[in-house]
Amino acid sequence: MAVRKVLSQRDLINMFCRSCNMLFRVKCASEMKTVRSLANQTAAGERDPAPLFFNSNVQQLLKKLTRMDLRTIFRTKRYGAPLKAPEYKFMTTEELDAVMKGAEEKAEKKLQMPPVIKARSEEPEVLSSDYELQGHSEAKFIFTDITFGSSDRERIMVVRDTNGVLRKATREERYRMNETYFPQPGRSIRMPHMFEKEYLERLLDQRSYEFVLDRACLQFEPDDPMYQDVTATTYEAVDRAQHYSALRSTRHFGPFAFHLAWNRSIDSLLLDLIQTDRLDEAVALIQLYHIVNPEARSVSANFEPGLEHKFIQAYVESDSKKRNVLELALQANEELHKQRAETEAGILRAHGNT
Amino acid sequence: MFYKLMLFWLHNPQVGELTLIGAVPAEALWKGVTSVSNAGRKRGRGKGVGKKIAKNLNRGQIIGVGKDNIIWPGLTVPVIRGRELVQQQKLPEDPEREKKLIKLRDDMGHFRPLKLSPIERGWSGTKMPGRSIGPPDPVGEETFEGFDTKVLELKSVFNMEGNMGRRRQISAFVVTGNKNGSAGIALGKAAEAKVALRKAKNRAGQKLLYIEIFNNHTVYHDFFCQFGKTKIFVTKKPEGYGLVCHRAIKTSCEVIGIKDLYAKVEGPTNLQHIVKAFLIGLLQQKTHQMLAEEKKLHVVEFRKENDYFPTVVASPPICRKQAQVKPYEVMDYTQYALGDRVFLRKKKEPPFFTKLPSWENYLKKAQYTRNRNKVKVSLLAEYGQVQSFYAEKYPECVQGYRRPQETVAE
Repeated sequence: MAVRKVLSQRDLINMFCRSCNMLFRVKCASEMKTVRSLANQTAAGERDPAPLFFNSNVQQLLKKLTRMDLRTIFRTKRYGAPLKAPEYKFMTTEELDAVMKGAEEKAEKKLQMPPVIKARSEEPEVLSSDYELQGHSEAKFIFTDITFGSSDRERIMVVRDTNGVLRKATREERYRMNETYFPQPGRSIRMPHMFEKEYLERLLDQRSYEFVLDRACLQFEPDDPMYQDVTATTYEAVDRAQHYSALRSTRHFGPFAFHLAWNRSIDSLLLDLIQTDRLDEAVALIQLYHIVNPEARSVSANFEPGLEHKFIQAYVESDSKKRNVLELALQANEELHKQRAETEAGILRAHGNT
Repeated sequence: MFYKLMLFWLHNPQVGELTLIGAVPAEALWKGVTSVSNAGRKRGRGKGVGKKIAKNLNRGQIIGVGKDNIIWPGLTVPVIRGRELVQQQKLPEDPEREKKLIKLRDDMGHFRPLKLSPIERGWSGTKMPGRSIGPPDPVGEETFEGFDTKVLELKSVFNMEGNMGRRRQISAFVVTGNKNGSAGIALGKAAEAKVALRKAKNRAGQKLLYIEIFNNHTVYHDFFCQFGKTKIFVTKKPEGYGLVCHRAIKTSCEVIGIKDLYAKVEGPTNLQHIVKAFLIGLLQQKTHQMLAEEKKLHVVEFRKENDYFPTVVASPPICRKQAQVKPYEVMDYTQYALGDRVFLRKKKEPPFFTKLPSWENYLKKAQYTRNRNKVKVSLLAEYGQVQSFYAEKYPECVQGYRRPQETVAE
């Protein structure tokens, strides 16, 4: 095994100190008030969302729902750095098209969604139990393979516990050692206070949804239960306040829509889409719902282009929790479409084309 | 001046008293110290002379009468009153006396120089240059709403005439503008400063120019301008940069409505030349549309804060094809806007002390402090105060910790 043991006395002391710190962190984390109840986590933990989320059909639907708007993706963002005077270039139309194409590719990269995966279990694999080593030290030893080239998730890390058990490192230990040897810019070893309940609530009241989600992506691994708590709290706050435009055209809208479908609470978003006359997106949302929840009653309904109202109606009738409101909105939308068609026909008639 | 004031005191042993030779009254002495001769005044000496800089504290005071209300026979009262000899005596203190004195001194007036509020203040003290003198006077029905005039120069000028001889006039150079692109400059001369300023202000109102401002805050592109030998290099700057330039340019920009710009003046710094050169430069600017039409190419903007998203700011009616663009054509926007001129940006030399051995020493010694501020900030964010993670276990490692005092058993 390519474990690099650092055996000088100073490093041993260091290691000892680090493990002390880590024990401290583990203790703190367990004492910390988590944002959501544990019961909720275990319920969600039974099914694995990853295969569904990475399904290419689902990804397509999520991208459609994200609604790629270049203006929003490249909107002015000020990170506190002093501004620079803009640059200008003379361009022919061909060059301009090429540059715009490049910008679209860049936008697609910027919209790459953070993965939705199951929280990792906490039970580390035991490699060997050498009880004759019991009490060899007052602290556990962590051996980290810091060879160049291995990723943070694949890096070999083993722990010799004080009771002599040699096991693989837990998620917390892995995070700590990765952060120690390969620190990521912007990530802190301890969880920032902003993810604690009181501060998080304040941030969400201020509508800083994107800020919270971006920071969560930076701070946590996607399989961290804390990440899943923070994101779920934020998604629910967005859905409750119906501030969908705050997340639209960001990389977080896909996971947000997936979260809603996963938790069977797409009704508010659907209402918003119907009211803003985005029927194609409403259809995509219901299709996503059907893929994520194959046991839904309206699964049998098939979508045929041009019959959006019928497809949505099927969902509203059998699966929605806000049936009355949705039906009213759908009727109003149907009326609108009818009027529009009549006007168009009238215009055609006026122009002499029947 | 000193020999005039020298006083000779001689002692006459026969008479037994002091004799003053060349005695001069106090007023003349005072004048000698504080004034300046006519010839000196012409040379510009003694500019602060003539102002009353001190109060006469002797006024209202009588010898023998003081804070302690004491009767001095022979000094403040007659020695004999009726048939009695008056004794030296202390009377109760008069509280009114001090107040009366202070009132008398206050009545003499304050001699503090005129102080302006920071808003009305110009470039320097109470001087006019840099100060605002309001909009030009309305002409008939036309009023100059939203306009403001600022003084750029106020100086005395002289002219030799056949019959009048040396004639002194005040010359005022002002700029007026509405902070929205309209601005005018003018020179006014008169015997009185006030009249000169009014003349200049009203003339400036009649000579308005329209200047294009980019996004309501800066110039369209970097440019070079010249008047006489005065050369100005102007650089476009982002929002919030401010006006970093000669004060005359800054004041002009303020009334024109430009908020961000850097300008370097090279050559003579004659104020009128600077302002004229700057205005010429502003007027010769080309807007994006003009550049696009000249080049027959799109002008595309890239901003860092928008992650370099291409935004078309101007397009020609017919755009050229790639094959029509000649290989030797200037395609760089700044270079084209500057007319193939290049600003010489001198490399900044490191300070001399960085070459000294003591600098190396300092760097070595100070190295351990390099992360202190960051650590301090992160600790403040983490714990609300500067403390180690050991603080829970060892409270003495918290900053400002005081050991609790042991109570002595009685």
